[in-house]
Amino acid sequence: MITLQLLVNGLALGAAYALVALGFVLVLNATAAVNFAQGDLVMAGGMLGVALAPHLPDHLPLPGLLLLPVVLTLMAGLGLLLAAAAYLPLRRRPPVAVFISTIAAGIILQNGASVLFGPEPRAAPPLLGGGTLDLGGLVVAEQSLAIIAVAALLIAGQQWLFGRTQLGRRLRATAQDPEMARACGVPVTAMILITFALGTAFAGAAGLLLANRYFVTPTAGGDLILKAYIAVTIGGWGSVPGAVAGALLIALFEVGVSSVLSYPVALGLLYATLLVILVARPQGLFGEAARRRA
Amino acid sequence: MMLAVLVAYALLYASPYGLRVLTVAGVYALAAVGFQIVFGLGGALSLAHGAFFGLGAYATGILGSQWGWGFAATFPVSLLVPLLLALLVGLPVLRLESHYFALATLGIAQVVHLLAVNSPGLTGGANGLPGVPGIVLFGWAVPRGLPLAAVVWGFVALGGLLAWSLARGRWGRALTLVRDDPLAAGTLGLDVGGLRLAAFALSAVYAGAAGALAVHTQRVVSPEVLEFPVMVSVLTIAVVGGRGRVAGAILGAVLLLHLPEWFRFLERSYLIVYGVALLATIVLAPHGLTGLLDRLFPARPAPLPMPAAPPDIAVPNGPLLRVEGLTKGFGGVRAVDGVSLTLEAGTITGLIGPNGSGKTTLVNLISGLETPDGGRVLMGGADLAGRRPDRIARAGIARTFQAVSLPDAASVLAAVAAARLERDGSIAQAEAHALWALERLGAADLAAKPCAGLPAALRRRVELARALARQPAVLLLDEPAAGLTDGEKAELAGHLRAIAATGTALLVVEHDMGFLLPLAGHVLCLDQGRPLYAGPPEGVRSDPAVVAAYLGEGA
Repeated sequence: MITLQLLVNGLALGAAYALVALGFVLVLNATAAVNFAQGDLVMAGGMLGVALAPHLPDHLPLPGLLLLPVVLTLMAGLGLLLAAAAYLPLRRRPPVAVFISTIAAGIILQNGASVLFGPEPRAAPPLLGGGTLDLGGLVVAEQSLAIIAVAALLIAGQQWLFGRTQLGRRLRATAQDPEMARACGVPVTAMILITFALGTAFAGAAGLLLANRYFVTPTAGGDLILKAYIAVTIGGWGSVPGAVAGALLIALFEVGVSSVLSYPVALGLLYATLLVILVARPQGLFGEAARRRA
Repeated sequence: MMLAVLVAYALLYASPYGLRVLTVAGVYALAAVGFQIVFGLGGALSLAHGAFFGLGAYATGILGSQWGWGFAATFPVSLLVPLLLALLVGLPVLRLESHYFALATLGIAQVVHLLAVNSPGLTGGANGLPGVPGIVLFGWAVPRGLPLAAVVWGFVALGGLLAWSLARGRWGRALTLVRDDPLAAGTLGLDVGGLRLAAFALSAVYAGAAGALAVHTQRVVSPEVLEFPVMVSVLTIAVVGGRGRVAGAILGAVLLLHLPEWFRFLERSYLIVYGVALLATIVLAPHGLTGLLDRLFPARPAPLPMPAAPPDIAVPNGPLLRVEGLTKGFGGVRAVDGVSLTLEAGTITGLIGPNGSGKTTLVNLISGLETPDGGRVLMGGADLAGRRPDRIARAGIARTFQAVSLPDAASVLAAVAAARLERDGSIAQAEAHALWALERLGAADLAAKPCAGLPAALRRRVELARALARQPAVLLLDEPAAGLTDGEKAELAGHLRAIAATGTALLVVEHDMGFLLPLAGHVLCLDQGRPLYAGPPEGVRSDPAVVAAYLGEGA
């Protein structure tokens, strides 16, 4: 039963990581730019939840559920801002310029949050109730179910958007070959802006969901960007399903190792795994020569 | 001049607090000078420099406070520990490209941080270790205040001078080329991996020195020295000051360490200022403060050297180059499939074939940019197949690229002189030889021009001069006539004949039959990686297989 319990916890954590990694890989595919601020954007989503909590109407049955659309919208706006400030002016420059500009954006987010909220860990309100459900001896936090459900919905929504709609076709065309897409009349800049908004909204949703179960601090993004990166590296650079699978894998690993040994050991092993994978198979465990991209 | 300003500042604002800020600025200046070597010159965004800084700090902190070692013993160890880590992780990690490298080095930094926080027995854990002794130089215990600031800035001056002379010399030029164009650097005889590793290791030594001095200034060591803000500060200083410039590191450090004093209302979160400064610089002034100063006070162009012919390299007897059964597949497709050819001294061989027939792959295999699956590349009795590009280049093979690659920021003379960095003793000598090569192609008047903005035909000319400056025994040209006018083609043909007449063997990949057939003494035609025709140029047009595969396609 303990194993099953860990599995559910790992799945919930993995679902949140999957949103982070998915946002990261969408932006990577569309712009060939590594968004180093992705971890800090997760933190920003959590902090938005913290900030909005006092304003929730308490006469509704599930006030926390209101947070999701509000945070998604605000974060999408932040994504547009990020693209306008840190990506669009640098798109003709070497990739390292965008990498550094997103490091800068992350620093600003991190320290802005530190000024506004202080360094103490904060919790965002739960989406459903704050309680637990007893499923025949298996005790599951309602928030875990909320994380899994919201992540599944958003990922399915992304799949539908990219796979089934005209906008999705244009987004994919931009990711595959921006020059070609532009030649075919796709408004590439608008597509890139939408991708940034999506990627940032996903990061924000993950932050909101995680900040209830695991708390949030201004510096929480540092480890998250590396975890998103590891997930993407395991899944093969540029692969959307790979990123989701990689995120689930590292979350299960993290929860498993943490329960037997400790969280620092789990984290250290994750980073060590990253280094080994990078050196042995820089294209990712399941990826093909994606290394030449970017 | 900058030094005089600093000294005047130190003496005028000699409040203990002001001197402390200045001392810390010196510590970061030293770390940033080192960072300029790997990031500015080498182009590798290392995020492990916080870890190197922290390792230097912990080495001094542990040995000084726990073991009672003095500065004379702890300081060298603080240089050595980051150096060893850099050498250990550098070899595998430096092979990674751009952001893979950046995030891998960040992973290394996180592991070091985790270890420091979770080994309380050794490091004091999250609390750190107090009681780190001060600096003792030749029996003199350096007191805080002006003397400590002077000693720290003395180290900055030493380190800065060393880095400055390295950056200006052959090594710095070579590193810059490795940054701008690693492929071309390899084919010009430069050991790309070795240069990157040396830059990474040297910059780790600087970071370690800075970390040691930081701990002597603070008298305690705690995990803060390993946290990301240290790395952020060093990166911001380097970018804001001006990438790759020693003066930029010093200017950036003094400015950015004093900025928080002017933005006191932000309290602990002075890093916001760093973030904004970093973002603004990257977007608005990519060359940083020193770049802006350069634009205000442009340097006078250096006088051109006297051209001098580089010494000939020994040319073996018999055929210069023999390729036997060379084979290369990409994921099941045989791009080159059992190709053999012989290049004799003083001859021009044409390599033709439809698009995708494996011409460029063959040139890449010979010059070492791709590793063959099978076959031999023989030169003077040695098999070069599968060797590193720089080894092959040193054996006497030079090449040009289908898409001309020249470093935009460099002058034409500097770009061509890059070909001589591996052989000549000094930059001056390399430039003299480069001017000779430019003169030989009638392009000496371009020498002082920047590579950026040169028209396509002249870019090709400069690239040819760069290959020629190596005095190659074998010269591989990938579509040298692409995009040239008829007049320019005729001129190029004359130059190629003249080069062959000196004994160099030329292999020319070309689509333009009108240009190639009168020029070449021998023609090899590839189709889907296989030789289709090998013989005199006159036979090409009448060979039915060639006509079917190639000429029929509208040449």
